[in-house]
Amino acid sequence: MSKHHSLGSTGVNRRALLSGTAALLASPFVLSSARAEAAPVNVGVIMPLSGPNAQFGINSRNGIELVADEINTAGGIAELGGAKINLVVADATSTPTTAGTVAQRLITQQDMTAVLGAFVSSLTIAISEVTERRDIPLLTMSFADQITGRGYKNIFQVVAKASVIGKAQFEYTAAIAQAAGAKIEKIAIMYEDTAYGTAQANGLRAGAKAANVEVVMDDAYPLGITDTTPLINKLRGSGAQAVFPVSYLNDSLLIIRTMRQQKLTIPAIGGAAGYVIPDFEKGLGEFAENVLSIDTSNYDLAPQLTERFRKRFGYFMVHEALEHAVCLEVLVQAIRKAKSAKAEDVAAALRGAKFTGGWINGMTGGAVQFDQTGLNVLSVPLMVQWRAKDIVTVWPKDIAKSAPVWRS
Amino acid sequence: MSFLQAILDGLLIGGVYAVISIGLTLVYGVMGIVNFAQAEFLTIGMFTAWFAWAFLGLDPVLAAPLSFAVAFAIGWVVQGQLIARVLSAPSVAQIFLTVGLLIVIENGTLLLFGSQFRSVTTSYQTISLSLGPLFISIPYLIAFAMSLACGVALWWFMRASWFGRAMRATAQNPAAARLMGIDTALMYKMAFALGVGLTAFGGAVILPYVTVYPGVGGQFVVLMFTVVVLGGLGSVAGAVVGGLSVGVIQSLSSLFFPIQLQNLVLFIVFILVLAVRPQGLVGASR
Repeated sequence: MSKHHSLGSTGVNRRALLSGTAALLASPFVLSSARAEAAPVNVGVIMPLSGPNAQFGINSRNGIELVADEINTAGGIAELGGAKINLVVADATSTPTTAGTVAQRLITQQDMTAVLGAFVSSLTIAISEVTERRDIPLLTMSFADQITGRGYKNIFQVVAKASVIGKAQFEYTAAIAQAAGAKIEKIAIMYEDTAYGTAQANGLRAGAKAANVEVVMDDAYPLGITDTTPLINKLRGSGAQAVFPVSYLNDSLLIIRTMRQQKLTIPAIGGAAGYVIPDFEKGLGEFAENVLSIDTSNYDLAPQLTERFRKRFGYFMVHEALEHAVCLEVLVQAIRKAKSAKAEDVAAALRGAKFTGGWINGMTGGAVQFDQTGLNVLSVPLMVQWRAKDIVTVWPKDIAKSAPVWRS
Repeated sequence: MSFLQAILDGLLIGGVYAVISIGLTLVYGVMGIVNFAQAEFLTIGMFTAWFAWAFLGLDPVLAAPLSFAVAFAIGWVVQGQLIARVLSAPSVAQIFLTVGLLIVIENGTLLLFGSQFRSVTTSYQTISLSLGPLFISIPYLIAFAMSLACGVALWWFMRASWFGRAMRATAQNPAAARLMGIDTALMYKMAFALGVGLTAFGGAVILPYVTVYPGVGGQFVVLMFTVVVLGGLGSVAGAVVGGLSVGVIQSLSSLFFPIQLQNLVLFIVFILVLAVRPQGLVGASR
């Protein structure tokens, strides 16, 4: 049956190709109408591909391309007559205003079924203002609370929000320390002052307050900081027993290096982003060892899935790649369910339903279900730790692949 | 004690600010052109040093002369082929040219090298000297020492060598210099190439503690202009004073205010200085 079908579709393709070639000679407009038979599903991918956050954008795009290619090679979306997924990738740069403009242009130029993006919370917020106006679903793995906190109808956040992640960052750490017989009484928080850092720091503060732990340092710093010495000087004088930096890549390298220079050996518990990508280990070498970080997923929880990423791109499937893969998986399942590539049908199919299987197996909670704000209620943060150039899930205990190492 | 530490850190950082800004002030002082693309040569210097580290195993500090040479060569061509054409043009044309150059270099590096961050790993990166209760960061100290050496070499070149004197003569009065048999076109090439070369040199020495990517120049461009205007536009000594002051102001401000306000404090001081001394700290003596 499937063989017959594939033969048939080859015939169609050949005919389309012939008419397409003829049309190409006549005018490009005819070409596009000749191919319209199995109209591709346009999915916008808006990522920071240049500027300080480009590495995360590239990682995310890799994850999405992997899934799209796999679906397309397997024959596209059968429910829509084998429609292929057509990714329209755009550079959001690292500036929110540009991200908004790029989103606007993308949506105006082509009919979009949905948009995926943009890793950086402040960029996602800018893009969501455009997609919300145009009623196009935006699937994201950005952390900030604001994303699903504004009553938008067309936004879907597949991971826990920043305040929850920040709280877990503190609480897991306290639990890990306690398991090692240590007690934390004073902590330091430093965070990059955009939407993500600010929201996650709120969670950290709430966690510390609930546990009656004193926050002896609480400092924001600007994106693109080139010298963290003043921060580390202050940290050294603060008497903190653990430091919780929430940063992207460049700042995370600076912070850890400057700490080591000043011989500060208190545990550093990163806030995902810069702490959980291969470049962190590459930039720090042995100094990355035992650095902890909160995260929203990790490749070692679904090795059979994430190995496909490593095979193609040569590095482990970082969480933003995995979670963006999940975004696309959820989107395609919604399209299949709606049997339509229309943005409003897909948005309706996304709401309320429970999605399972495929790449979703890589998520904590094992499924994705959005509440009325668009937040995935099943996602739970986890703690990872760098061990011998590898990043290992160490907490919560029930999913950990290895026991955490705590040195205070 | 934290006060002393802040001053020390500020001076070390400021030394590097000085060397990357000397180039900007040199170009203005000799040619009267404000080179908005100056910070892009910092990026070029950093990339050169990064590739030398990645493929030749050269420490960025040793690769600094190579960065200087690469930027010098590019600067020579840029001056001869592009800037020379707008030397006597209205300043709007000069601004368009150098801003255009900025955009071309930034996007050119993006096209060639991609947007990812590149960082070097060196043995001294995470080491510091303890001086009683004070910490002296080794990468900062090395960058400072290299900048100092570079500044002294430039000073000697401008004071003692025939080329240096000819360049200063060209800055003072191009027509008279030409009458004395000085090839002013050559002097302009030399000044521009030297200027961007110095900035690239500064880029290489900071590579152990700053990661390189195509937009990195943008993190320094405003600082560079602050340094030279604070010190006195066109004055090399001014750039040194300006660089050290900017470093110390930034560092001290973070003792009393959140680090986010670092540049706010800097600009308040900047505006106050300009209100009292519009010619800058060191003044307009070239």
